[in-house]
Amino acid sequence: MGEGRSLLIVSVVSGAANVVRLLSSLFVIYLTLGWKVRKAKKAFEKELIKQGMPKQDAKRMSAKYAALKDEALNTLKRSMRTFS
Amino acid sequence: MLSEKPEKKKARMDAGEVKEILGVVSTEIPGLIKSIIASVFSEEAGRSMGKAAAAFYKELKDSGMPENVAVKMTEDYIGVFTSLGDILKKAGPKGKVTVSGEKAEELEKEIERRVKEKLAERAREAEEEE
Repeated sequence: MGEGRSLLIVSVVSGAANVVRLLSSLFVIYLTLGWKVRKAKKAFEKELIKQGMPKQDAKRMSAKYAALKDEALNTLKRSMRTFS
Repeated sequence: MLSEKPEKKKARMDAGEVKEILGVVSTEIPGLIKSIIASVFSEEAGRSMGKAAAAFYKELKDSGMPENVAVKMTEDYIGVFTSLGDILKKAGPKGKVTVSGEKAEELEKEIERRVKEKLAERAREAEEEE
């Protein structure tokens, strides 16, 4: 009986540790997302300017590309609200 | 006493299974999300998308399209890639109907009218009974 209980406790503790690990990984992904978007945006803009597009127009278009992140996050939030 | 034993054994097995599932999920899910994000938001992805848009713009310019029209068309071209929100909205829960704009107002008025009709009907019935 003692063995069974200790096994259960070990399972619960390791399960909780896994949940914490999962949440921390997701948090790190969320934090680094902004940085990745900025880099992608710059590369995108650079390519457009390279082909002769005015800088202002290239900036406007790259902003549209970066807005995709907010759109994706909003959709995720909305779907989470729908499921909860 | 005897009936408790299989239950405890089952609970132990369930806990073990949950532990295993959580172990796999906590390693696989972040990797999956990372790769999905990298396919859209990485330097490489941005560059290749920029190359595609720039090539489109260059072709339009070379074929004699005015500057503002070429920019507008390129913007629309990029909009196709970036309309993720619309795609996700369409891929929402099945059977869910979204009504917006004029249709929503029409629907609202129709519902209001029918509710009023029903209420009037019930009031009439109640008066007749009295």
